[in-house]
Amino acid sequence: MQERRKKCVAMLLAGGQGSRLGVLTKHTAKPAVPFGGKYRIIDFPLSNCVNSGLDTVGIMTQYQPLELNDYIGNGRPWGLNRSFGGVHVLPPYAKSKKSEWYKGTANAIYQNIHFVDRYNPDYVIVLSGDHIYKMDYSKMLDYHKEKGSDCTIAVLDVPLEEASRFGIMNLNDDGSIYEFEEKPKQPKSTKASMGIYIFNWQILKQYLIEDEKNPSSSNDFGKDIIPKLLNDNKKLFAYLFEGYWKDVGTIESLWEANMDLLDPEIPVQLKDPDFRIYARNYAKPSSYISKDAVLENSFVSEGCVIKGTAKNSVISVGCEIEEGAVVENSVIMPNTVIKKGACVNYSIIGEDCVIEENASVGTDDKKISVIGHDKVVPSGAVVSGQEVKL
Amino acid sequence: MNSIGIIFSNIYDVAMGELTKRRTVASMPFGGRYRFIDFVLSNMANSSLTSVGIITKYNYQSLMDHLGSCSEWDLNRKNSGVYILPPFSTGFTNVYRGNLEALENALSFLNANKEKYVIMCDTTVICNINFEDVIENHKKSGADITVIAAPAQQGEQFTDSDLFVKCAGNKVTDISIGKLIDQSWLVGMGMFVIERKRLIQTIEDYVSRGRFSFERDYLQDEFNLGNLNLNVYKFEKTVLRNHSIKSYFENNFKLMDLTVRDEIFSKGAPIYTKVRDEAPSFYHKDSVIEGCIIADGCTMIGTAKDSIFFRDVHLKKGSLVKNSIVMQGAKIGKGASLEYVIVDKNVIIEDNVALKGSPEIPLIIPKGTIVS
Repeated sequence: MQERRKKCVAMLLAGGQGSRLGVLTKHTAKPAVPFGGKYRIIDFPLSNCVNSGLDTVGIMTQYQPLELNDYIGNGRPWGLNRSFGGVHVLPPYAKSKKSEWYKGTANAIYQNIHFVDRYNPDYVIVLSGDHIYKMDYSKMLDYHKEKGSDCTIAVLDVPLEEASRFGIMNLNDDGSIYEFEEKPKQPKSTKASMGIYIFNWQILKQYLIEDEKNPSSSNDFGKDIIPKLLNDNKKLFAYLFEGYWKDVGTIESLWEANMDLLDPEIPVQLKDPDFRIYARNYAKPSSYISKDAVLENSFVSEGCVIKGTAKNSVISVGCEIEEGAVVENSVIMPNTVIKKGACVNYSIIGEDCVIEENASVGTDDKKISVIGHDKVVPSGAVVSGQEVKL
Repeated sequence: MNSIGIIFSNIYDVAMGELTKRRTVASMPFGGRYRFIDFVLSNMANSSLTSVGIITKYNYQSLMDHLGSCSEWDLNRKNSGVYILPPFSTGFTNVYRGNLEALENALSFLNANKEKYVIMCDTTVICNINFEDVIENHKKSGADITVIAAPAQQGEQFTDSDLFVKCAGNKVTDISIGKLIDQSWLVGMGMFVIERKRLIQTIEDYVSRGRFSFERDYLQDEFNLGNLNLNVYKFEKTVLRNHSIKSYFENNFKLMDLTVRDEIFSKGAPIYTKVRDEAPSFYHKDSVIEGCIIADGCTMIGTAKDSIFFRDVHLKKGSLVKNSIVMQGAKIGKGASLEYVIVDKNVIIEDNVALKGSPEIPLIIPKGTIVS
């Protein structure tokens, strides 16, 4: 009898604290941070999985997991509520001999070897939960098989002047990797790692077990596993991804990625019926745009009541902009109210906030101001900066 | 809760004309992202009903597609949930003539359940009602049947099948069908509470004798004979009755009144619908939007005034839409202009086409039409 198994299992690293997102990740894991009006960051890799035909996903969480667990639920919004496979949230847990947190990206998968083995896959794809991009992983998997690769790393062509900010892959003419350099001062190539790896599971498993035995290892894919594979002359290939990709690990990049949605020149197409981004839905009515509203170059999601002005902004589900309020160049996260006469410029406003009447958030100088979740900016207050004390 | 729900999906099909040619009245699009049935089904789900039968007759593919497994309403239960009840057809069966006859379809569903009460509803009356309160009220009254009713609005038009009741306190003292005697009478909302066993008995006794209308043949006749004790549950919040294309057209725009919006889309009792995973709507810098309801997934470049836009509508540059309803997936071409038009699903209005209906008789463009 044939064994019931999966060809490829996706392992999504969602345990990072995202400390560079400051107040936005104080009580929320980075992958659960709202994005693009109705999504959360994790919707992108999860929807990519579904759109690539991957139906078995393990999500490794450890930092402030409550909201993320709640958001994922049984995976139904992504069609990942399967009786065999589907989505599984994998927090670190106490074992009979010891209990520990996830020490590094490789250790997180090491601690879940049993989970992967349940599906006895040929391949494992390792993803991270903090990038905005649309990618068909099945094409990368085809490439991996075609090259007979042991490990394939997705890379992006970046401008030479930015290459020293990334992990850079130095390639042979056939696309194989001969060297990996983390943030090189003098980059030899412009192929930057996107943090997406496909491994032959048996090889990865062997390396994870060995890596765990090495007390001096930091148990990290980029720092330990990849260099070790290269050192042992395993076959590593780079898969060139062409398209939009953005790391949203900082306030500036999170803001920029939101603004990119409004730019017709930038190819992050949320509206593609053949490659939808799925998200949990909150049963809100359609938005009401009043006679006095002014909307210019903006996204407005459902459940909003707009009576004021929004320009170059992303207004999320369930927000209200009252009469005379002006929102410009900003991201308003779900269920926030901007009261009469208030103005918001170059800012990210968290979920469930109230900007009271005639208050002002942000400045004109393009430095992004941030208000954390559940905050009230008092009437008439003038605030700006990334660490607003309220 | 000790009640089950019955929903009639086809009862007022005729009144909606072209719009119900390819759908049940229950699947009529409403308010940008909803179908009629979403409201009554959400009310039932929010009132802790776990077992709901939906009686269908014909054209019910779009309804089944919309409901799916009913997981959006959390009615995809292991031991109960939603049951679609199509006619049991023998090849000689006629389509049913009234709701009692329609209920014959539901006999096995009614017999299979053990709950004490049945809440029966049409889908054309839109409101946000808690049936737990209704059941409590019914129990307290000790009556045989509770009629859910609301005051008539000034100038509201009714059909000859509408039910009106005169009451003293909670007690019904007179019944009229088809005529509102005066403004002190209440208008039935097509919603009733009855004991399950009594309903089964009534269906069996009446249908075999060729009496098929619940309101006229049973409720009114038996009440006039003094055999029924009727309680009325007076519903005081917003009620939107859709018994004609005109009232349907007007009711859509009433959702722009924020009091109506808050009462229908109550925060504590949300209205659920099928999730479509559309992106947020995009408003171009050239767009002019004044007084509109707009769902997700729209691309707005033209001008829109006092109109309703369902999901995934594309309003192209230089177009003008006024006092109209534009349903899912429609494309309005460059320089096109629409006034008092109901544009059904997936219609394409080509560039520079001008269409105009009137407030009394809006122009209906049928599903999937290309207008050039």
